[in-house]
Amino acid sequence: MDSGFLATQFLNALQYSMLLFLLSIGLTVIFGLLHFINLAHGALYMMGAYIGVSVAGATGSYWAAFVLAPLGVTAIGALLYFTLIERLRHAGPMNQVLVTFGLIFVFLDLARMGWGDIALGLEMPAALAGATQLIGLSYPAYRLFIIAVGLVVMAVLWAVLARTQIGAMIRAGVENDAMAAALGINVARLFFAVFCVGCALAGLAGVIAAPVFSATTEMGISILIPTLIVVVIGGLGSLEGAIAGSLIVGFIETIGAVVFPGIAAISSYALLAAILILRPRGLIPARG
Amino acid sequence: MFQQTKTRGVVFLAIFSGLILYSLSGGYFAREIVIEIAILAILAISLDVVAGFGRMVSLCHGAIMGISAYTFGVLTVKFGLPAIPSAGAALAAAAVFGTLVGWVTGRTSGIFFIMATLAFGQMAYTLIFRSRWLGGDDGLGGLPRFDLSWLGIDMGASISFTLFALALAALVYLAAAWVMRSAFGRTLAGIHENEARMNALGVNTVLHRTRAMGFSALLAGIAGIIAAQHTQYISPELLFWTVSGEVLIVVILGGLGTLIGPLVGAVVFVGLKHQISALTDYWHIVIGFILIAIVVAGGRGLYGEAERWLKTIYKARLNA
Repeated sequence: MDSGFLATQFLNALQYSMLLFLLSIGLTVIFGLLHFINLAHGALYMMGAYIGVSVAGATGSYWAAFVLAPLGVTAIGALLYFTLIERLRHAGPMNQVLVTFGLIFVFLDLARMGWGDIALGLEMPAALAGATQLIGLSYPAYRLFIIAVGLVVMAVLWAVLARTQIGAMIRAGVENDAMAAALGINVARLFFAVFCVGCALAGLAGVIAAPVFSATTEMGISILIPTLIVVVIGGLGSLEGAIAGSLIVGFIETIGAVVFPGIAAISSYALLAAILILRPRGLIPARG
Repeated sequence: MFQQTKTRGVVFLAIFSGLILYSLSGGYFAREIVIEIAILAILAISLDVVAGFGRMVSLCHGAIMGISAYTFGVLTVKFGLPAIPSAGAALAAAAVFGTLVGWVTGRTSGIFFIMATLAFGQMAYTLIFRSRWLGGDDGLGGLPRFDLSWLGIDMGASISFTLFALALAALVYLAAAWVMRSAFGRTLAGIHENEARMNALGVNTVLHRTRAMGFSALLAGIAGIIAAQHTQYISPELLFWTVSGEVLIVVILGGLGTLIGPLVGAVVFVGLKHQISALTDYWHIVIGFILIAIVVAGGRGLYGEAERWLKTIYKARLNA
């Protein structure tokens, strides 16, 4: 195993971690703030990929898809929010799991109806199509772009959460939503805004993943479990937890598959079980 | 708390006589449907024991069924052991796995319990999926059925295997009803209502929840034996988490915490699946919307709604 190979695996792991981050941050903040478990988050990721494929097909431009897919998924999310999620906020985890499990089925068949059962590719923009030379290593430019998008989103979210008034309101809501409401924060509107941002990020993850992994009907279900693992390992509701969890799961699954192929497949589940038993609030819990 | 009411007894008898008549009068395809119902009903009843009476929403019941099926398959195919003792060992393996999961997750609840059971179930799935010795993705074939020729029963005939599966399903219902009516079942119901209060009363809630998982896994193991002998082939698909999710749908569809509801749910679920699949390719969207509608309507399920409706009629008559 030479160093170039390892460096390539490192970048692959980083790229996978960034996709997991884009998905898990939405899921974790929605849970932290709304106490809502949205199993359909993976389905929104899938919708992002499919909408991206359609938009790129209609306009001929990847960048149009890059902008419109997250907006389209946000619209779907808003519809879900007003029809189901708002009324299930206090219905308990089992009802939430059931309804959003039902939504997975609904979206699965909607995607099959709309786009068929075959994998659909999405043309990556010409500027990012080739390979880049990076400290003596040849690596696909588009994958570096995914890493960059993840890092930018991470920085923006950190800045908003840590440095702005809205961020302070969100943190207050995660800490104690009743108290935040009593202090005059419009918690309902805040919840809705956070939910929409989470959906937009799921859509963004879908559209940036599509050129590499293609849009398929199974993609939503297969990404859901690693995303849930990230959320629980990191600690529900916490940005730092989502970052740490995404990196841990991304690296375990990518590097582990190369270095320890035998145990890599179960190691993230084993880690999840260990965290749940030994440290059920996650590595970096949101509340002190 | 569980009560075996007259209504439940009537529904139980009606469903089983209906299924027996259907398998006697219908052809091979009808019997296939009845076996599918029996397997799903057993799994749903076993999940209802923990989810409906102990607030433990397990997402590893598919894996428990699969562990039983694979233990049976390995002992009979790989080691050439006779089928009946192998089935006993398979049930023991399922119960041990369930007890272990129940024990280590004993202090978690809500979403954490769901995630922990998901993790253990997926670990079992991945290990079997990755194991070349167990056939990996291709599964394991050539499993035997029980040899009951000494009783004059030919298990190779579809009708006798169907009736055998139905008999086991009825047995599972009766066993679950008996245990849920016992002191243990009542304590479990108490934990379901208010775990902190039961703790304060001196009840070892972790021990009770562990036992409930072990008992539930034993029942789920029976479904694994039938599934393994039915097609005489097993694959890792049995253990995947969406199987457990589907079982949860069946429980909710019928009525959580009623034991008879899961039975109703299994009949309706399998019936609908075959009816709708004949009409359209998009069976999932239909069941998805049904599931959402049931939860939004209050989550009582078909049997729960019917029972509530009967009660209002009864009360109206008393007041008249």
